Amino acid sequence: MHTDSRPQQASAEPLLPERGHEVGYENGPVTKVPGWHGLIAWDALLNGMATGLFLAAAVSELAAPAVFMRVAKVAYPVALVLLLVDLGLLVLDLGDPSRFHHMLRVFKPGSPMSLGTWCLTIFSLPLTAAAALSLLAELGWDFEWARLLAVVVGLLPGFASAAYKGVLLSTNAQPGWKDARWLGGYLTNSALVMGCGEFLVLSALMGQTQAIAILRTAFIVLLVLNVIPLGLLFANLRPIHAQLYTREQQWRVGALIAAGALIPLGLMLLKGSVLSISVAMIFLLFESWLVRAVYVKIPHTSPLEVRSGE
Amino acid sequence: MASREQELSALPQASDPPRGRLSVLLGRLIRPYLHDEPHGPLPELLGRLIYPFLHGEPPKPQQPTGFYTDTTVCIGCKACEVACKQWNQLPSDGFNWSGNSYDNTNELSATTWRHVKFIEQFSHESPSVPASPDTEESESLLNRWLMMSDNCKHCVAAPCHQACPTGAIIQNEFQNIYIQADICNGCSCCIAACPFGVITRSELGGHSHKCTLCYDRQRDGLEPACAKACPTQSIHFGPIDELREQARKRVEQLHERGVPQAYLYGDVPGETYSEMHSFYLLVDRPSVYGLPDAPFNPWLHMMGDYVRSVAGGLAAIAVLLVVVFLLKP
Ligand code: SF4
Ligand code: SF4
Repeated sequence: MHTDSRPQQASAEPLLPERGHEVGYENGPVTKVPGWHGLIAWDALLNGMATGLFLAAAVSELAAPAVFMRVAKVAYPVALVLLLVDLGLLVLDLGDPSRFHHMLRVFKPGSPMSLGTWCLTIFSLPLTAAAALSLLAELGWDFEWARLLAVVVGLLPGFASAAYKGVLLSTNAQPGWKDARWLGGYLTNSALVMGCGEFLVLSALMGQTQAIAILRTAFIVLLVLNVIPLGLLFANLRPIHAQLYTREQQWRVGALIAAGALIPLGLMLLKGSVLSISVAMIFLLFESWLVRAVYVKIPHTSPLEVRSGE
Repeated sequence: MASREQELSALPQASDPPRGRLSVLLGRLIRPYLHDEPHGPLPELLGRLIYPFLHGEPPKPQQPTGFYTDTTVCIGCKACEVACKQWNQLPSDGFNWSGNSYDNTNELSATTWRHVKFIEQFSHESPSVPASPDTEESESLLNRWLMMSDNCKHCVAAPCHQACPTGAIIQNEFQNIYIQADICNGCSCCIAACPFGVITRSELGGHSHKCTLCYDRQRDGLEPACAKACPTQSIHFGPIDELREQARKRVEQLHERGVPQAYLYGDVPGETYSEMHSFYLLVDRPSVYGLPDAPFNPWLHMMGDYVRSVAGGLAAIAVLLVVVFLLKP
């Protein structure tokens, strides 16, 4: 079927057609891009960093208190700060931030955003308690049982806060996201990898040699494990990447992501010094941000130049 | 927009649960601040905080209503677009030259709830007389306009409704999908979820808007403004069962008259999508009209995605635990 592509011309003062509008409707995008800006990539990163750090610290502390308790008491306040920044971004990304509390108006488990908001809200309470009680313990007011209770209570909502994000993004009609079956699997796994890395950095900065030895091994295994969901996610998204990016761009991003995964692994295998741990973590955060900026931001296109804009 | 929001919020609202004693109590607490001028910043803040938690009693269910749009009789006059804008007090979109036939609004948006699409199907080589429908090439040699007045599909299992975390989107007593403008906080989940690209967040106020199926008019026993204004009866409004019946008869009639391509889009549930309370009679592929050929409800994937998400996290926790137990002194 042929569609006439000649634009109509006005007689007197011809107005130029707006750029970017196809003639007909067949080749245009059907869905609308949600107005989530670039903040979504940072939100996904901070969400993973906050929940991952809490979960890594809580699980390690509960499994081996003698080794991890000191570092965990520092990890909880750090996780709280990261969470607060993330919540701030979530509020800023609303069309009407003054109505942020409307999120808690109903509880709809079928809506990943509703479930996520409730989980984040609930999680913020034990996390705040754990962080505050950890700081108080440093000042000499030790309520150990209460602090441990807060840590245990925070486990489930903390895990759910990490797990909902990918599902929120894959349960919609947007090109790319709708096919990203492993986005949730990757993001939750990545949250734990980042959390373990952050916990390792804190242990290194505090000179906790036993904790470093254990976490370094765990970090290496987790870095390898994370390649599986990343590969599956990559396979999910190949068709949309082929549409959005040139082959060269795909290779460039692929190479950067691979470097971001391999360099921390190499550094961890080679050495366990504070410097190599910190550099490994910087590379991991860069890789995690890149995956989120390219994959999580698909409907908005990535910071890369898109194919149509070449 | 502000005045319209106040009007909407003054209407009794259908609402999601919970409702009951707590709502009544909250209502009593907040009433002075809603109907009088708030006395100072503190009462105003209190009012703003409590207001969204008030839940009205849901109205009694009515006969489900909807639209049936017969695109074969649309003449592209845009009376529906204008009537919609007038009744709903929607601002103009400016005078844009889209370069796409007679389309100047381009898409459905927060300020355009009806959008007339113009599709020119002309073959440069073909004669101006349409080919006989019997010939094999009939489709490629047709010289024709297709016109379609598009709007929200009022899906029965609407992804936007499923996505909305504030409960702003409801299925009202007429089984139409309605956004409570005073509740929406512009989170954009509905925009991401709609497979038809219907909902848009407004630049004014930052809330999402779309066709209400003239809820206010229906409550007063009136038909929606677009259906009322349509001079060719391309847009039919009424009880949904009657509309389906009417539409099927029209398809049969068209088949008899030599338009075998005529079919209904959205009148019955498909494998991956529910039926719609605004459905269409089309004579070409859905994608020609800018509609998804096979709409898919993203919620069909949700449980599986949660399983993968939880598995990804649990695998990492298991690794951490195993290493800690193996290496701890
Ligand atoms: S067409 Fe889109 S906006 Fe309308 S009810 Fe369906 S999902 Fe919601
Ligand atoms: S933007 Fe408004 S209507 Fe849409 S999902 Fe969010 S709160 Fe609901």
